[in-house]
Amino acid sequence: MENSLFSKPRDLFLDVVNPRDYVQIDSVSHMYQSLKNSVQKPLKMILLFGKPGTGKSMLLHKLHHDLSKHQKVLMFDIPIVDEDDFLRVLAQRIFGHSPREVMTLTRFLEIAEAVSYPDVPIVLLDEAQLYSSSLMEKIRLISDARAIKFVITLHKTDKEDVIAKEHFQTRIWESIELQNASAEELKVYIQKKLLKANCFDVANMFNDKNMKLITSLTKGNYRDTNKLLFSLFSLYYWYEENHPTLIKYNALKSKWIEMAAIHTGLIRA
Amino acid sequence: MLNIRDLERRWLKYKIKSYAPYLGAVFTILLVSLIAFYNSLSSTVANEEINLPLTENSSEIKANNTETVTILEPSMDFVQSFQTTIPETQIATAPAPQRALPPQQSIPVPKVLNIPSSTSIKAPPPAISPLSGDKSLSLNRNESKLDIESVERRFKETSNPNLGLFIARYHYDHGNYSEAYNFSLKTNSMNSKIDESWIIFAKSLVKLGRVEQAKKTLHLYISESNSESARSLLDSIEQGTFK
Repeated sequence: MENSLFSKPRDLFLDVVNPRDYVQIDSVSHMYQSLKNSVQKPLKMILLFGKPGTGKSMLLHKLHHDLSKHQKVLMFDIPIVDEDDFLRVLAQRIFGHSPREVMTLTRFLEIAEAVSYPDVPIVLLDEAQLYSSSLMEKIRLISDARAIKFVITLHKTDKEDVIAKEHFQTRIWESIELQNASAEELKVYIQKKLLKANCFDVANMFNDKNMKLITSLTKGNYRDTNKLLFSLFSLYYWYEENHPTLIKYNALKSKWIEMAAIHTGLIRA
Repeated sequence: MLNIRDLERRWLKYKIKSYAPYLGAVFTILLVSLIAFYNSLSSTVANEEINLPLTENSSEIKANNTETVTILEPSMDFVQSFQTTIPETQIATAPAPQRALPPQQSIPVPKVLNIPSSTSIKAPPPAISPLSGDKSLSLNRNESKLDIESVERRFKETSNPNLGLFIARYHYDHGNYSEAYNFSLKTNSMNSKIDESWIIFAKSLVKLGRVEQAKKTLHLYISESNSESARSLLDSIEQGTFK
C-alpha cells in the first residue's frame, strides 16, 4: 500500500543494530560518555555488561563508528571461536601481517611488538561469553602485554559472571553496567526515533497510558520494544488497508498493543 | 505475515483469562451473600414457627385451661389424649376455688401424692416439700409406676408446670424420651421460663434423633433467656459430646 502512514514507522523498528539509528537518551548518553572516557584511559580492558536487550551491542557499534575515524579499531560482532583464526584475523587487520605459518600467541606478540601505533589499537568484542576459556586466556595475555586494548560485552547472567570473575577480575579496570529503560526513557526513545524519521503523526499517537502498557509488556527492554512496535505498526498497516475506520489517530489502541505483544510472544495466550 | 483473525481470537482468550480471577471473586462474593441471605431468611421463618405456638399456647392456657391446644407441633397421640381428658377430670374432681387461683398456688400436691396406691411406698419421704416462697416445688423421685401415674393425674387436674417438669424429668431418667418430650413440651407451654424443662425438651429431642430441631430450639431459647445451661447443652450437642 502506497502512502501508508505506518509502513515507515514499522521499518524503523526492525531489530537491526545500526549506529546511525542510535537514539540519544540521557542515561544511555551518560553511559556512552563514560565508555568513551574509559577508552581514552590507559586501561587494558573495559567490560560492558547488562541483560540482553539493554543496548550493549548498539553502544559497541556506536563506539566503533565514532572511534574508527581517529584510531585503529576493530569490531568483532560475530565471535571467531577458533583461536588460530582469531589471532590470524587480528594480526592481519590490526597489524597488516598475514603469516603463512600457524599463528601462535608468541608469534602474534612478536608481530604486535614489531608494529607501533601512536595509540594502542582497540578491539571490540561483542558477545564475549561465546569465546572459549582458552581463547579468553590468550586475550588476557595480549591485553597484559599492552599490544591491544579490548572492550568486551557480556550478558549479565550467573554463568557469565563466573567467566568475568575468572578471566577479567584483576585486569578490567573499568566496567559499565547497562540497565533497562524506564517508561519515560522508553517514551523518549520511541518518539526520538519516530521524529528522527519525520513520523510526527505517529509519534503523537503515543500517550502516557500507551507507554505504561508498552513498558509493562517489555519491561523497558529495547530489543523487546523494537519487536513489539514492529508488530504493532504491522497491525496498524493491515487495519489501515482493510478497516481504516477502526483506526483512531489520537492514541494507540491498547487492544492492538496487546495483540502485537501476543504476536511477539511477550504475552502468552 | 500477520494472521489478524487468529490474533484477535487469541487476544479475546487472553482477556477472558486475565479477567477470570476477578469474575471468580465476584461470583464467590455473590454466592456467599446469597447463601447468607438464604440462611438469615430460613432462620427467621424457623423463629416464627417455633416462637408463635409457644406464646399463643401459654396465653391461651392462662385464659382457659379447657381449650384444646392444637398448635403444638409434635401432635403426638399423647398430647391429644391428654388435652381431651382435661375437661372431664376438671369437672369431676377439681373444686371451683382451686381453678380460680393461679396454677402454682392452687396445687394441693401433697394431698394427691400421699395417696398410697401401692404398698411399696409405705413411708416415702415427702414427695413434695412445702411450697417455698418462690413458689417452686422440691420433688423427690418416686420409682413406682403407680406413683408417677398419680402425679400425672394431679398434673392433669391442676396443670401445675412444676409437676409437669417432675414428670418429664422422671420419664427422661427412665429412658422414656417421647414421654419426657411430651411433658416438657406441655410444661413449656404452661410456663416458658423454666430452664430445666427446656433442657429436658432439647435432650429428649436429641435422644429421639431430632438433633436439628433440638439445636434450633436451644438457639431460640438462648436468644430469649440467655441461659448458660442451655448454651452449655447446645455446645455439647454441636461438638458431639452429648450422650
